[in-house]
Amino acid sequence: MLEIKGLSKSFGGIVVAQEIDLVMRPGRILGLIGPNGAGKTSLFNLVSGVYPPNAGTITLDGAPLDGLDLHARARLGLSRTWQHVRLFPSLTVLDNLIIGARDYPAESMVKLMLSPGRIRKAREVARTKALDVLERIGLSDTAGKSIADLSYGQQKLVGVARALMNDGRCLLLDEPMAGVEGQAYEAMQKIVREVAAAGVAVCVVEHNVAFIRDLCDEAVFMFQGRILARGSVADLIANPELTELYFGH
Amino acid sequence: MDYFYSIAILVGLFVILASSFNLIIGYGGLISIAHPIFYGLGAYTSALLARDVGLPIPLCMLLGTVLAMALSIAMALPALRVSGDYLLIASIGFQLGMIELIKNFRFTGGAGGVSGIPAFLVPTFGREIYVALVIAVAIGVVMLVRWIAHSDYGRAISAMRDDEQAFAALGRDPKWIKVSIFALGSGIAGFAGALYAHYFRFVTSEQFEILMSSTILTMVVVGGLKTPWGPVVGAILLQVLPQAITFLNLPPALLGPLQGLLFTGLVLIFMFLRPGGLVQAGNTWTAHGHTRKEV
Repeated sequence: MLEIKGLSKSFGGIVVAQEIDLVMRPGRILGLIGPNGAGKTSLFNLVSGVYPPNAGTITLDGAPLDGLDLHARARLGLSRTWQHVRLFPSLTVLDNLIIGARDYPAESMVKLMLSPGRIRKAREVARTKALDVLERIGLSDTAGKSIADLSYGQQKLVGVARALMNDGRCLLLDEPMAGVEGQAYEAMQKIVREVAAAGVAVCVVEHNVAFIRDLCDEAVFMFQGRILARGSVADLIANPELTELYFGH
Repeated sequence: MDYFYSIAILVGLFVILASSFNLIIGYGGLISIAHPIFYGLGAYTSALLARDVGLPIPLCMLLGTVLAMALSIAMALPALRVSGDYLLIASIGFQLGMIELIKNFRFTGGAGGVSGIPAFLVPTFGREIYVALVIAVAIGVVMLVRWIAHSDYGRAISAMRDDEQAFAALGRDPKWIKVSIFALGSGIAGFAGALYAHYFRFVTSEQFEILMSSTILTMVVVGGLKTPWGPVVGAILLQVLPQAITFLNLPPALLGPLQGLLFTGLVLIFMFLRPGGLVQAGNTWTAHGHTRKEV
């Protein structure tokens, strides 16, 4: 369970998070909605450690994340995707996934030199898992392709697949549906449901209200760095004040 | 014949320097101009330990390598905690500061340098063996760079260079990758320095000045960044061509500027016509055993 208490952040006079209290529960899918500039992605950046908060605490299954770097939080089981995909173009699709496996000791030159056998073994485990994840999202045929050869929707799916390689306890999905259509849409819904069913706490930032409505157990509405309302997606959408804030009419 | 041996050794040493610098700047994406000083530190450490302490030369060479590596870690660690840009600033300060220290310490021979450095292998086996040793080390370094580039670690380096933040969000620590690659590259430069010292038997701070960075960088850029063979081609080309034109029997007043023009001209030509260098790197990481065919 990821618990956020009193989280605040401002850049000069611009407040991106103000006294945010939020809980992401295992097995549940939480939707984060609101107009552009509401602070949704900033909240993900604060939780994942891209930048430090001015105040507040974040815990993952009771363990405080405060002061930890981005990589240290990921090692504890916090996975995320990015609004603009951010895959590694110099690697193939399969290698993009393999590099995301949590216990894959790729960055250790010492281990590479002293125990190449162990690295090979870890790679095989990661490779098997990566191929399995690619099959689950219906992209097995893209494994050896370059990222540039994929459609934008496929890249989004690979971004989610890469985050899944972490086997995290909490998954933050930043606009997974932007630019995604057709089969990729179905595949994305299926994979997010499967992840949540496995006991992972999932939080989705998304402008596609239909996607949020179909997928999320509950949602929060953010505006100007604050949480204005919580509840079922249907209730939030039905609230005329929130609709006006969201759509401006 | 000694002249040709010296040229062969210099070419070999520059292959080592360019390959190790390629590891740092090409593969690691780290911008540093302190490569000459790590070369110099290896040379001075090995020379002084062999001459003044009397340690066996192979041990002195190893200690020169270790010192270059240790100081590179000490320099990179605080700089890379902040951001990669600080490494460039730190490297300028380190390069200039260390040169001044070498020039002013008495035990380093001051501006006069260190002479009378014990020779290695040459008195017993002849110069040919030393040439063979340097070429063997150069081949070994190129193979090491190739192995690293094609390994899992190489893949991690590529990912880190593509997008450091996204890489870190996967639970990978970019700082240690950068520090380790910088230390390895600098250590190799230190070993090249030790090889230099025990053949030419005289070292002075002027041989390791900041301008040498541009020479090594030019070799890497002209040869091809992010390829194991690019720096080899660049080092051979830029070491042999200036030597070759000395055989044209031109007046010395013309020869010097012509060598400079050749150097600068090559850089300009490559920047405009072939920015990827003579040996071009592929766009997608496709090491043996991990190509598209594998899947």
